[in-house]
Amino acid sequence: MNNTNDEILLQELAEQEYKYGFTTDIEMDIAKKGLSEDMVRFISAKKNEPEWLLEWRLKALRYFHQMELPTWQNFRHPNIDFQDISYYAAPRKKPQVNNLDEVDPELLSTFAKLGIPLDEQKILAGVVAVDAVFDSVSVKTTFREKLKEVGVIFCSFGEAVQEHPDLVKKYLGSVVPQTDNVYAALNAAVFSDGSFVYIPKGVNCPMELSTYFRINAENTGQFERTLIIADDGAYVSYLEGCTAPMRDENQLHAAVVELVALENAEIKYSTVQNWYPGDKNGVGGIFNFVTKRGICKGNNSKISWTQVETGSAITWKYPSVILKGDHSVGEFYSVALTRNYQMADTGTKMIHLGKNTRSRIISKGISAGFSHNSYRGQVKISPGADHARNFTQCDSLLIGDRCGAHTFPYIETRNNSALLEHEATTSKIGEDQIFYLNQRGINSEKAVGLIINGYAKEVLNQLPMEFAVEAQKLLAISLEGSVG
Amino acid sequence: MITQLTTSLYNQLVMAAPDCLQPGQEPKTFTDIRSQSFRKFKQLGFPTMKLEDWKYINLQGLVNQSYSLEDSLPGRPVAHERAHIPGLASYHLVMVNGAFRPDLSDSIEDSGITVMPMAEALDELLFAKHFAAYADKTDNPFVALNTALFQNGLFISFDKGSVAAKAIHIIHVVAGSESLFSQTRNLIVMGPNSSADIVETFITEQGAGKSLNNLVSEVVLEESARMQHYILQTASSQSSYLTHTEIHQSKYSLYNNYNCTFPGASFVRNNINVRLAEADVEGHLYGITLTADDQLVDNHTIVDHLKPHCESYEWYKNIVQDASTAVFNGKIFVREDAQKTNAFQQNNNMLIGDKSTVYSKPQLEIFADDVKCSHGCTIGQFNEQSLFYLRARGIGEEQARILLVHAFAFDVTSRFSNEAVKNYVERLVEEGL
Repeated sequence: MNNTNDEILLQELAEQEYKYGFTTDIEMDIAKKGLSEDMVRFISAKKNEPEWLLEWRLKALRYFHQMELPTWQNFRHPNIDFQDISYYAAPRKKPQVNNLDEVDPELLSTFAKLGIPLDEQKILAGVVAVDAVFDSVSVKTTFREKLKEVGVIFCSFGEAVQEHPDLVKKYLGSVVPQTDNVYAALNAAVFSDGSFVYIPKGVNCPMELSTYFRINAENTGQFERTLIIADDGAYVSYLEGCTAPMRDENQLHAAVVELVALENAEIKYSTVQNWYPGDKNGVGGIFNFVTKRGICKGNNSKISWTQVETGSAITWKYPSVILKGDHSVGEFYSVALTRNYQMADTGTKMIHLGKNTRSRIISKGISAGFSHNSYRGQVKISPGADHARNFTQCDSLLIGDRCGAHTFPYIETRNNSALLEHEATTSKIGEDQIFYLNQRGINSEKAVGLIINGYAKEVLNQLPMEFAVEAQKLLAISLEGSVG
Repeated sequence: MITQLTTSLYNQLVMAAPDCLQPGQEPKTFTDIRSQSFRKFKQLGFPTMKLEDWKYINLQGLVNQSYSLEDSLPGRPVAHERAHIPGLASYHLVMVNGAFRPDLSDSIEDSGITVMPMAEALDELLFAKHFAAYADKTDNPFVALNTALFQNGLFISFDKGSVAAKAIHIIHVVAGSESLFSQTRNLIVMGPNSSADIVETFITEQGAGKSLNNLVSEVVLEESARMQHYILQTASSQSSYLTHTEIHQSKYSLYNNYNCTFPGASFVRNNINVRLAEADVEGHLYGITLTADDQLVDNHTIVDHLKPHCESYEWYKNIVQDASTAVFNGKIFVREDAQKTNAFQQNNNMLIGDKSTVYSKPQLEIFADDVKCSHGCTIGQFNEQSLFYLRARGIGEEQARILLVHAFAFDVTSRFSNEAVKNYVERLVEEGL
């Protein structure tokens, strides 16, 4: 870390309250609260969807009504009144934009505060293309033209349904079916928008694709649906960043992400999640209940998940990989930081089906205050997965004597040529390490930040450059006030 | 599924329960505990695979048949020499179908050690203090069932400072050609500063019928007590076992559990829970599981750190052959007050059979920050290079494999403090391959 970085850190440490707690006053088009078939029809009609998609949604809704809320998770399931949520919110003036000047200036300033100034990025000549999701409707997709040249489709889900219905129909729900779990069913029924990416055969996506999610309107759940398809020999790196303004009422976020990697394809999916975690007493905050799953469908394909989770009152997700193709590779790198009364129950699933498949899991949990942080993971080797290989490491760091760190790994092997390793450690930050840094004139808070960053390095290294810096800052900000 | 259950063991037990739970025959407090437990069992029923703790075990085949609930020939002569451990100086205590048989057992001359059948212990002070005080706090339906309806078992108590000069060898024999559901309940109370080696061996008499055995043991270690507890499962395939061992430790005490399962018994489920209930306690669990054919062996352990400055060490090795299945579920809890805890857990698996399966769930739940906890789990098979190395030096393949398995098990066998038991276990491992 160089000097300027340190200064930025210091500055940000001084800010006590949740950094991204502001709201944007834009007229919203909010549907009345409640979940019903009519609501699903309303959303579908609003989005001008074809008949088959409406049927698909209705089927999901019926599943949702039949399902019961799970009880196995390691936190108390909050009482969510599904009838008290508005399932559709869109900025009233759907901006028809060709250049950034036409975008509502207030919206732009929101993004500026978030640290993704669209203008600047446009000037910076296409390092990152951002499909900014403002509540439910994708407002602005940058660099689409440029991507179009190489044949990459990167658009909002709604547009994809209109323009590429065949692709959507073929892959929607193929990785996460409507019946997968109760929140996946809910999402399938009421999802409002999301991102769609298709990388054609042999194309190496020329830039990092990125989407910022934000929850803005009160009492609107956000139900995103992301579908990424990498055709034979394609490569894409996708970034998802999340911040949400401060709200006192709990808000539900139940997204679904589906990744499909065909032969020799590679998908890298990175997330930095910093939604409002609730205040010091655990009031408010986002419920982040997300289903993320990828399938390595073709031989020699690869899917890699990287996540930095610092926000949300409850984080509950298991980005998984189904290793179906022979020689396919799945990776999962995670840092989850919880403080105050936050809860995180996160981990991954690696389902080995193909021969010579490999997976690697690195999970780093940090819990402070009264928070609880759980790693829950599954490594499953099916009888046909000859010579499968897995390495799992999940470490936990505890700060304070009233927090908890928990590990629930499931290791299931039904093939005698599999080689698996799993290791986990739990400890607190070494007093000798802090003492060493204190001696050298670094105060305790900064010392902890330094140690945490070193501890999480293995995961942060996996993030693309811009995100790595942001994630590093985020970890330090999140920990302020937890030490000493 | 439910309708099938009601026509089988469950139904039998419900029919038999009123006789057992009739007031008057036993002290009232005791009958109350039994009735309460039976209500609990009825409420829970036999576990299904939907329950997390029973996820990998299908009990339906076992409980969906009728058993005889009582031994028809209680005094039958039984040979138990097969269970004897060469070179081990020991007192033999023989249990046939759950019932203690003084006529086949040695009497213990060491002062301060009391052995009696459970039925005679109901008036003992220690019984009232400790019975059903630990195991019944769990939600294992088989413990509730055992508490409600057991008729047999052993009560062993060690007075303050008493030391067993020889190992106490409890031999559990299943005998008789009828299919039997037997329940055994043991209570072992180690007084302050007492010390003992306890070996439990499970065997099946030749020609014995199918049996399902539900054993619950509560072990209490008072201040500075020391106990080495060896469990050797060597029964044959017609026998199935559900065991629950609950250990409660007080200050400065030491408990070592060595849990060894060998090819034979078609179904074994062991629950071993150690509660480190006071400060400065050591409790260690070691296990070797060698399975063959279509055996299913499931070891569920809990190490529960309740107070500071305790240490636990757990190491389970599974060697899985043929179409057998091994399950390991190890939980370590470190409660809020249990600062300065050292807890270590490791599970290593060697998958040898083409159709063998391993399910492992090493689990940590930690609520205190000043602790050192780790767990590890590996799954692998014979190292081809090691095999080649040995064969290049003129060692036959079979011998080489035995050598490698020995080496694999060595981490655990080397912890055995009793030399005779250690040699015996190493021999059984060799024979089981």
